[in-house]
Amino acid sequence: MSFRRLQSWLTGPRLLTLGIVCALAWSLSRVDWQQPIAHTGGGAAALKVLLALFPPDLTPEFLSICVVASWHTLAYAVAGMSLAVALGLPLGILASGVLAVSSDGHNPRRWTLMVAVRFLLAAMRSVHELVWALLFVAAVGLSPMAAILAMAIPYAGILGRIYAEQLQVAPPEPIAALRTTGASPLRVLLYGYIPMALPDLLSYTFYRLECGIRAAAIMSFVGIDGIGFQIELSLADLLFRQVWTLLIFLVVLVVAVDWWSSRVRRSMAY
Amino acid sequence: MERTGIQQSRPTGGQRARFNVLRWSVYAAALLVVIAWAFILLDGNSGFGDLFRERTWQNAGGFIASLAGQGSDGPSPFVQAARWRDTGRLALNTLAMSILAMGIAGAGALVLLMPGARNVSDGTLGGAPSRTGALVYGAVRILYTLTRAIPELVWAMLIVFFLSPGIIPGALALGIHNLGIVGRLTSEVVENLDPAPARALRAAGASSPKVLLYGVFPQALPMFLTFLMYRWEVVIRTTVVVGFLNAGGLGREFRLRMSWFHYEDVALLLVWYLLLVIAVDILSAQLRRRVRWD
Repeated sequence: MSFRRLQSWLTGPRLLTLGIVCALAWSLSRVDWQQPIAHTGGGAAALKVLLALFPPDLTPEFLSICVVASWHTLAYAVAGMSLAVALGLPLGILASGVLAVSSDGHNPRRWTLMVAVRFLLAAMRSVHELVWALLFVAAVGLSPMAAILAMAIPYAGILGRIYAEQLQVAPPEPIAALRTTGASPLRVLLYGYIPMALPDLLSYTFYRLECGIRAAAIMSFVGIDGIGFQIELSLADLLFRQVWTLLIFLVVLVVAVDWWSSRVRRSMAY
Repeated sequence: MERTGIQQSRPTGGQRARFNVLRWSVYAAALLVVIAWAFILLDGNSGFGDLFRERTWQNAGGFIASLAGQGSDGPSPFVQAARWRDTGRLALNTLAMSILAMGIAGAGALVLLMPGARNVSDGTLGGAPSRTGALVYGAVRILYTLTRAIPELVWAMLIVFFLSPGIIPGALALGIHNLGIVGRLTSEVVENLDPAPARALRAAGASSPKVLLYGVFPQALPMFLTFLMYRWEVVIRTTVVVGFLNAGGLGREFRLRMSWFHYEDVALLLVWYLLLVIAVDILSAQLRRRVRWD
């Protein structure tokens, strides 16, 4: 096979597959195969953990701890999400560029602002919420507010980006009609873009709420009460029955929120 | 005439019911927001008041200054080639962890692709619907829900219990969680794809593996790879967090340096972290553009 034929054969999907195989092989080569994969006695420990599922710890005292932890997780998730929406919506509007265009063309100052906000959103979402949390804990100390802020920053970054994309795909005809009436960019936004994009905006926000629950659960890693914190405590005390109970609470909470958000999204499908 | 016009524009029963789900959900969400904030703020230790104290901002400023190297003794890690090399090796481990995690999630999702799709188990794609098929479908769906509902970090907490520290436990934790996400999305793609090619193959007497290979894969693979790339962008951000739990890579070092107050080293690790995130974002966007299956 000549090089040229090889080159034409190795395009698109085949090249990508080759790339994926090479990447996997490389990543396996980084693993330290000298040391055993499992701890000595790891298998026995795994068995012990599994057997603790029958039954999980269902004593009333522990269940009340689980309920309180679940409520904390939900409350932090909702607070973090609401802050993320409050930050993400204005940033998303600025990043979408809908305010930068009016009937008489581009506004260069607002155009620059749009590009700057896009960079800001990218920076906010490039750092994981727990890394933000650790930085905040080091900077201002441990408090629920620090955890909520840490969660709100990357979530606002993601929401802002998606909101911007959703505003941009609004159908152009009604927007153009509004513009011809001489409406200002702000009015076009309020009466054109936002009403048309509202189902998408809400749908994505509800979708993110499910991720927010998981984020809030692990936010307890920095020491805020919640399901993750309780799991950490129980694991440290080797109380695997409690771990199972907490995992069941976490799964139920996430599945419930997922069910709610998919109900909402289906009700808006058009 | 006008009257009928108005009557026609009235929502039908179905539409009205749909509207209510949305309206009540928005009300419930608003109420939840108010209750959650009230609960957090009424608790004396929320830290909300600290946001308006000068000392908090001084501390934050001091932290940023120490990230930039103020008040540290000895040469900055940023000017030491050896520190760059060491942390670079950790960054490569983190990258390898993310790729391995995607490999685990992708391989799992591919294996469960057929049993996890409703149209395969109920025979829409040809072949007889079977009780076993329905049972396996249910089991795969439950597996997806469970693996998805439990966050990576919790999986990692459990896994570091049995496995020795390194890339593997982190990759496994990330892989299990993402299996649930990628698997569910891919199953939905298979459920929505055009059944005609698979049915035609089946009618021509093709075996199940052949139907999978020629009737399902070519249609589902581009979306599958797109999801994998999207998730890779998320996973590279999370590898560091999983690494906190002794799972190796940048995360472990980050946590140690934080607890030793070596903030300048923390800054160096953050630089590597951001470089990885940016590189993966660019690579993923480029690859996603190339995925189109012609």
